[in-house]
Amino acid sequence: MSDHTFLPAWREQSLGRRVFLRVSAASAASVALIAAGCSGTTTTPTAADPYQLALPAGDSGLLYYAYLMALAQVTLYQKVVDAPPTDLTTTERAVFADLRDHEVVHQKTIAYLIDPTGATQLAPTDFAFSLSKFTLTTRAGVLAASQQIADLVAAAYPVLLPLFTSSSAPQRTILLKMSSVQARQAAAVRDMLTPGSFANSDVVGSNGQLLTKTPTEVITALAPYFAPYVISVASLAVPV
Amino acid sequence: MKLISILDQLAATPAIAAPAPRRALLAQLGRAAVAALPLGVALPAAAAPADTSFDAVTQLLQLERTQVALYTQALAAAGLIPVAQTADFQRLLAHQTQHAALLLKALQDAGALVPALPQFDFSGKHNVAANPELFPNVLTNYDAFLAVAQQLEDLSVRLYQTQTVNINDPQLFRAALRIHAVEAQHSAHIRGLRKGRGAVVQNWPSEEDAAIVRPTAAQALTAAATGGEENGVQYVTPGVPVPFASFLLISSNTAIHDPALAESFDEPVSSAVAQTALNLFV
Repeated sequence: MSDHTFLPAWREQSLGRRVFLRVSAASAASVALIAAGCSGTTTTPTAADPYQLALPAGDSGLLYYAYLMALAQVTLYQKVVDAPPTDLTTTERAVFADLRDHEVVHQKTIAYLIDPTGATQLAPTDFAFSLSKFTLTTRAGVLAASQQIADLVAAAYPVLLPLFTSSSAPQRTILLKMSSVQARQAAAVRDMLTPGSFANSDVVGSNGQLLTKTPTEVITALAPYFAPYVISVASLAVPV
Repeated sequence: MKLISILDQLAATPAIAAPAPRRALLAQLGRAAVAALPLGVALPAAAAPADTSFDAVTQLLQLERTQVALYTQALAAAGLIPVAQTADFQRLLAHQTQHAALLLKALQDAGALVPALPQFDFSGKHNVAANPELFPNVLTNYDAFLAVAQQLEDLSVRLYQTQTVNINDPQLFRAALRIHAVEAQHSAHIRGLRKGRGAVVQNWPSEEDAAIVRPTAAQALTAAATGGEENGVQYVTPGVPVPFASFLLISSNTAIHDPALAESFDEPVSSAVAQTALNLFV
């Protein structure tokens, strides 16, 4: 209803959406994902593994974790929007455009929460979520890949949210608002692949509650797609 | 109103509480009552206190009971739900029944008074035949049923978002977060069913959704289900909005469509607005 009044400044921007992921040349020293092995507690200094990324402790580490999930979703959905398989219907393409839009908003919002100045490089320049293990040339392949990722992220949020400290209540509120959107996306994708498979026993327990995944489980599941980078969640708060 | 409600609960609490797994909930009741006494005397009625853990669980129980009743009555209404969708609504009923049982047990374990099960009436007539019908044909017309079902599921997503953070029993808090996600899956599915039948609706609340037309007196349900979902402002700290316009950049050929910003965040609903909607069906 408010197409013409809604955030005019946002509409008028002409820069490409992916500009955020472009890493500035001067930012090598400000990579926020610090390499493991830099910890001062080790007695024998070892060379930092350039492919080892340790999420920081505290609430910022939780935000990084959410950021990586959003990055994975944006990468996948953007590819589907850019090169949809021929048998993906018009209606389904519109859904994927929405999924892409939502996740771009999530990813950029989380990036802002991590660093409002935008000066920090959030990931190494060649860090990416690889799509090579998915079959994205068919509708079935696209939906299977999307369900895998959407289910994983939906399962992550109910575990992630209680890990925030009380000092990050506004951040937690924003992520809480995103969490049910993730669940909606998962149900929408599930129903596209297999009608009526929303909230079925694959994803909801016998108590009527979502089956959840810890950060360790989620990052383990995503590990093949972030290779050669290896992400450590060892510093994150441990779910109860 | 809330103060009286809390004092009623305390009066109903057994003097010697059995060892309760929901001790935290009970403790919250006591603290809330102590804190509420001077406030209640000193402040005008308009300054409503924040919901307590007890308020949260009680209201969520009424919500779940409402949905249990809707799906129970709909599955019993001959010819209402197509055979192909019967299993969907049996699943929805099973989940809501499980949620209601959990909340009921939480109240019982805390020694709190459990509200009696209301007599639900989805016509909006409040069980009085002479009253105007606010929700016509809910149990005879599939589309009318789906519209009410969708809005109650949307309300669920929002009310869990609102009330979950008021639950101070850690175990119940985490359970409520997992239920919150399930309610969102329910809503997305019912929205998908309506979309499949030609309604202009997305799997998530969107300003692109067609309005559900009903009598004015029934609008409280719409207000509780999606009122305010068009909100495009989020706060990074109280009073400081996230400057979306400064970092959400679009180009002409890959434009993020405008409604996507609000769609990306489900919004909470105030407990008062939610209660007004829930009261339509009792």
